[in-house]
Amino acid sequence: MAMDVEEKEQLGFPYWKSVRRTFGPESPFFASGNVERELIAKQVALDLTEDEKNKLQNLVAKECGVFFCPIVGCGSRLTSLEDFEDHYNAQHTASCSICSRVYPTSRLLSIHVSEAHDSFFQAKVARGYAMYECLVEGCSLKFKSYKSRQQHLVDKHKFTTSFEFFKKAHSSKKQRQKLQRKQGTHKREEASCMEVENESIDGLVSAVSKLIQRDKRPDAT
Amino acid sequence: MADEGLAAHRREPIKSSVSNVAAHRRRKNAATVGKERRESLVRAKRLCRVGISGDTDVFLENDMMIDEEQSILEAQTSSAVEGLKSTVAYQGKGAMQKRVNALRELRRLLSRSEFPPVEASLKAGAIPILVQCLSFGSPDEQLLEAAWCLTNIAAGKPEETEALLPALPLLIAHLGERSSLSVSEQCAWALGNVAGEGEKLRNVLLSQGALLPLARMMLPNKGSTVRTAAWALSNLIKGPDPKAATELIRVDGLLDAIVRHLKKADDELTTEVAWVVVYLSALSNVATGMLVKTDVLQLLVERLATSNSLQLLIPVLRSLGNLVAGDPNTTHAVLVPGREITDHVIEVLVKCLNSENRVLKKEAAWVLSNIAAGSVEHKQLIYSSEAVPLLLRLLSTAPFDLRKEVAYVLGNLCVAPTEGDGKPNLICEHLVSLVGRGCLPGFIDLVRSADTEAARVGLQFMELVLRGMPHGEGPKLVEREDGIDAMERFQFHENEDLRNMANGLVDTYFGEDYGLDD
Repeated sequence: MAMDVEEKEQLGFPYWKSVRRTFGPESPFFASGNVERELIAKQVALDLTEDEKNKLQNLVAKECGVFFCPIVGCGSRLTSLEDFEDHYNAQHTASCSICSRVYPTSRLLSIHVSEAHDSFFQAKVARGYAMYECLVEGCSLKFKSYKSRQQHLVDKHKFTTSFEFFKKAHSSKKQRQKLQRKQGTHKREEASCMEVENESIDGLVSAVSKLIQRDKRPDAT
Repeated sequence: MADEGLAAHRREPIKSSVSNVAAHRRRKNAATVGKERRESLVRAKRLCRVGISGDTDVFLENDMMIDEEQSILEAQTSSAVEGLKSTVAYQGKGAMQKRVNALRELRRLLSRSEFPPVEASLKAGAIPILVQCLSFGSPDEQLLEAAWCLTNIAAGKPEETEALLPALPLLIAHLGERSSLSVSEQCAWALGNVAGEGEKLRNVLLSQGALLPLARMMLPNKGSTVRTAAWALSNLIKGPDPKAATELIRVDGLLDAIVRHLKKADDELTTEVAWVVVYLSALSNVATGMLVKTDVLQLLVERLATSNSLQLLIPVLRSLGNLVAGDPNTTHAVLVPGREITDHVIEVLVKCLNSENRVLKKEAAWVLSNIAAGSVEHKQLIYSSEAVPLLLRLLSTAPFDLRKEVAYVLGNLCVAPTEGDGKPNLICEHLVSLVGRGCLPGFIDLVRSADTEAARVGLQFMELVLRGMPHGEGPKLVEREDGIDAMERFQFHENEDLRNMANGLVDTYFGEDYGLDD
């Protein structure tokens, strides 16, 4: 699956492989068919109607259908895959009204807003206060720089080194939003998102991102 | 099993004699949420409620009196067992008839409702006495009734089935050619229930030599015994240890018998034999190899084309699926593009995809995906068939598990056969056409789902689009369908592989420079 690194190519992307897939006889893949087999065989003896058979099938299927939300730190119990979309939109689309970045929890959103858009926050950082909170709820450590917080996440909480809390917004993001507005067809919930329209806010964003750039020097603690 | 031709014509009087109240209550019981009841209905064990030998028992009328309280039933059962014990002890005149009558009484109590008083009978000590009734030289009627009682005891809970352990060697012994057909069939039924319980009991049966006599019972050309033996065997070889399956296919004459039975018009027989093929092909490479060399594939395809019986279609389709999945020869040597059989296979799979049944649809898509994983010619064949418009529709509208299988078919059509570890080559013609016909939103939907496998499949397809669409159209197309949004969700996903995949794609194709030229 992992490939040799080629210039500009993803490292280790598991490309689509056209291969046969087999399943063992008791694999969950075959479960509904197995249930169907037994129900049909007993249906005549028990005089079950189609309707009752369907109800039974569904009951059995539901018991295997439980799973948990895969967003880090959530773990909510979901009863169906259809549920996930609703759950995600309700719980994990806290979006920043200034730069439209989306975060999976309101806590992370508020951390982002402080770090990216609050000049007061930056002022305190410049004066040497430990302002960068650990992202893991319950761990109350704070750090003086983005980088050292990042290191802590990797060392103590096993985050991958590729994790970036403040991902550079692709300049295309603004373009996309302009395009979306023109088309008038939003699939994303706009409820918590104010559109970035003013030049002044744009200016603020770029100023803040410059500050953060400066912060990423290796000697910063 | 109770649903035989012989018993079928007797079913009319049963239905008409049942009062609405009793039937209603029975239905309510059957569909009740009670976990145990639900489990008993989907367990691989079957109660014997109507006689195999077709004796003209008045019992059928009494069968419908289920208004009796469970406790009364249990009391009657205990006394029936006691009664049986005393007849066994009795040595005087008419002892045999007394014994048979006592057995019959117990058997009736155990066949009455779908929840027989098994526990009560075990508590009263039924097993040792039934074992005694199975001794060699006993008259057929006695053997039959004893085996019938054991059958229904074995259809109960796990610990109840396990209680049959002392009886197993005798039950196996009575499978032999010297037993009457009805006795051997009833014993096969009991053993089928024991095998259906689980791996542990299966292994006990195998070590006690149950396989060979049951296999021999499948060799004759007709009779309900063949069907019952096939069902019992399907429970016996279902593994997970493949040894039994491999042993079975090697039994002299068995492969030939399977082919013979698959040709027959008897749907119920073919159904049970097809299930044997399901397990043979799922577990044993030896069996798969041998099956593929016979006419079995042809016969399976024919049945899929002509039958409308769901209980037959399920194992037949799955057998076909296992043979395609398990052995490369199936697609390389038999289902070669250009041959009539190959066209027919696609046709019957489309028929299954068009059916109303979820199981048939999903498993048919799975089979198609494996054929689509064959040679370039296979992909071209499917691509230009009537399957594709149907698959595109299903990708948008079908339930989740079917959409996932459909995704595998479509994706396999766009990628050349995998060779080595390198990046696989795209079949651009197929990719461009399928994307042009609107398949991308369906894949992006899979990316959004909470299912790891589906998200992975969706991301892999997106990579194909991003890389393979001509004139650099890929990124724009993905963006238009909110694909970037779907990928950015993975930033906080707990699965590292998916995170890396998604981040990798976004970084590579939607980096800083993206969109600046617009």
